[in-house]
Amino acid sequence: MFKKSPVIKIALTHLLAKKRQTIVAMLGVTFGIAIFIFQAGLMSGFQAYFIDETVNTTANIRIYNEAEKNRKSILSKLYADENKWVVVQNQKPKDELTKIKNGYQIIAALEKDSRVLGVSPFLGSQAIFKVGIAQIAGRVSGVDIIKENVLFDVSKNMRQGDITKLQTIPNGIILGDGLAELLGAKMNDNISITSPLGVTLEMKIVGINHSGLTEVDKSRAYINIRNAQKLLKVDGSYITDINIKLKDFNQAEALAKFYHQKFGFKTVDWKEANASVFSVFKIQNMVTYLIIASILIVSGFGIFNILMMIIYEKMPDIAILKAIGYKDSDIKKIFLTESLIIGMLGGLLGLIIGFFMQKIVGSIRMDIKGFVSMEYLRFNSSPGFYVFAYFFGLLATAIAGYIPARKAAKMDAIDIIRSK
Amino acid sequence: MGNIIETKNLSKSFHDPVEFQALKNINVSIKQGEFASIVGSSGSGKSTLLYVLSTLDTDYTGHIFFDGDDLSLKSKNDLAEIRNEKIGFVFQFHYLLPEFTVLENVCLPALKLAKYSEEEIRERAYQKLDLLGLRDQALKKANKLSGGQQQRVAIARALINEPKIIFGDEPTGNLDSKNSQNVFEIFKELKEKFNQSIVVVTHDQHFAERTDRIITLSDGEVISQ
Ligand SMILES: Nc1ncnc2c1ncn2[C@@H]1O[C@H](COP(=O)(O)OP(=O)(O)O)[C@@H](O)[C@H]1O
Ligand SMILES: [Mg+2]
Repeated sequence: MFKKSPVIKIALTHLLAKKRQTIVAMLGVTFGIAIFIFQAGLMSGFQAYFIDETVNTTANIRIYNEAEKNRKSILSKLYADENKWVVVQNQKPKDELTKIKNGYQIIAALEKDSRVLGVSPFLGSQAIFKVGIAQIAGRVSGVDIIKENVLFDVSKNMRQGDITKLQTIPNGIILGDGLAELLGAKMNDNISITSPLGVTLEMKIVGINHSGLTEVDKSRAYINIRNAQKLLKVDGSYITDINIKLKDFNQAEALAKFYHQKFGFKTVDWKEANASVFSVFKIQNMVTYLIIASILIVSGFGIFNILMMIIYEKMPDIAILKAIGYKDSDIKKIFLTESLIIGMLGGLLGLIIGFFMQKIVGSIRMDIKGFVSMEYLRFNSSPGFYVFAYFFGLLATAIAGYIPARKAAKMDAIDIIRSK
Repeated sequence: MGNIIETKNLSKSFHDPVEFQALKNINVSIKQGEFASIVGSSGSGKSTLLYVLSTLDTDYTGHIFFDGDDLSLKSKNDLAEIRNEKIGFVFQFHYLLPEFTVLENVCLPALKLAKYSEEEIRERAYQKLDLLGLRDQALKKANKLSGGQQQRVAIARALINEPKIIFGDEPTGNLDSKNSQNVFEIFKELKEKFNQSIVVVTHDQHFAERTDRIITLSDGEVISQ
């Protein structure tokens, strides 16, 4: 027999009387939820992976010195009168301005800061790499590899060789794997690098590195900071960047401001540095949610449709129930229950299908080399997504069911009875 | 003995397709325990009057007092509760939920009222079905029964909450004379044993003559009562 209130039984009876349409309406919800689980899991999995890689390859905070663009010429300082025009053509930015003065003192100060996990000095340069006749333009990163390792876990990404060689072998160099491939270079090969200033250094490959960011791996090499200083013909205190890793990278934005005020140099946090990527993510997410929303709207129409059909067919039921004392709200409950049953069953099936779609696609080897390189697609399959998708689906069905339910509740029993 | 229902200058008009007054200044009262029949030619307003009296139709002027209360002051929900607890209705067409069993159909008003446990409700439903000779049909789907049987199920359903008054709109219209006689006896018994009021619209002269009182309608007016 039935439960306390016959509402559920009546609802089920209605749905069973229209099995095929009910199943179609249910599958609409199933489809929407499954696509959501798959798509949102893929997007957020990819984004999480990307953020992970970026956090690992971008400093939480970078301190640098920017070349002053509209530097006042000496002449305009001399003739500071507003009524005089001073024209200096072809004014060049001063070279040494990108140097961080007292860089090593700042590093020492930062290393004492309890919020800081690691600090690494940096001096970069463009360079031409040459192995035999192969010749490629790229960049060298002059670093203190031990400190750099604290920040970016370089050793984890070593395909061959050992980071400490950069310390122990005076002319050692670690190449990105893409760069090594392009040059046809192998471990222990000799390689020459030439700076824009015309300085050439003969180096020896002591390691091959794979950061996962394709562009970087195709163009970057690590060398000791002393060698970078030689390439640029500068003294041993010359550095252009200080990279900082924090204990909590979510503090980056606030601390970047703080260090800017404290040291007077420009600072940028990892989020700001990758702002363009994050704005792409935002658009990606928006598109994902729009797709899901439109699928759910379509399945909402399916539910709306079948409920309207049931209501017109079951008008006598509505009249009887009202005549024997069921309230409008009871009638509304019956049809809302019907839409929720469709939503709950369809949604549950959608969750299951979405889960397996993730598992299956996630187990296919893809070897993607794009923005980032990964062997398998990574899905974010956190329970939160499932809960969200399910409730979003239920909400959509409830909205779709509400309009017919209200219509049924408002029907006049007498009109129905008279028309028989 | 008090009146279960009493009207004062009750009128009702339809506005669609043309303005038409279906009930004109009706003043009738039904006593508790009275078995009355309403007769009149087709289109005289019998069904219309019954729907208004049974609280289903609220679009009227004048007053209806039910058990002493003015119905025009009641909300829709109040009226639904009154129908559920105090009114039984048997329509001209049987109006059962076709996919439900006979037993379930009879239980519906009682489950809404929820005065008794499910167990007791089922017990009572069987009693009512017994009364109408339908016990052996209890577990059949309603749409598997003949028209006459379905009409009797509808009567059993009207009885389940032991209402103060039962309205019937040609409840015997689709029954043969034997079943018709049977229904008359049941109504009489309800009146005598349980002091329930019965108001029945009928075309059956023989049926009407044996009730306590005949109310005759003509063109929306009560011409004798
Ligand atoms: N919904 C309606 N709209 C307009 N006129 C109606 C409507 N229902 C009934 N009527 C008219 O009201 C009058 C009374 O109808 P009804 O009460 O059904 O008569 P009876 O039951 O006595 O045969 C008839 O003339 C009928 O045409
Ligand atoms: Mg009629």
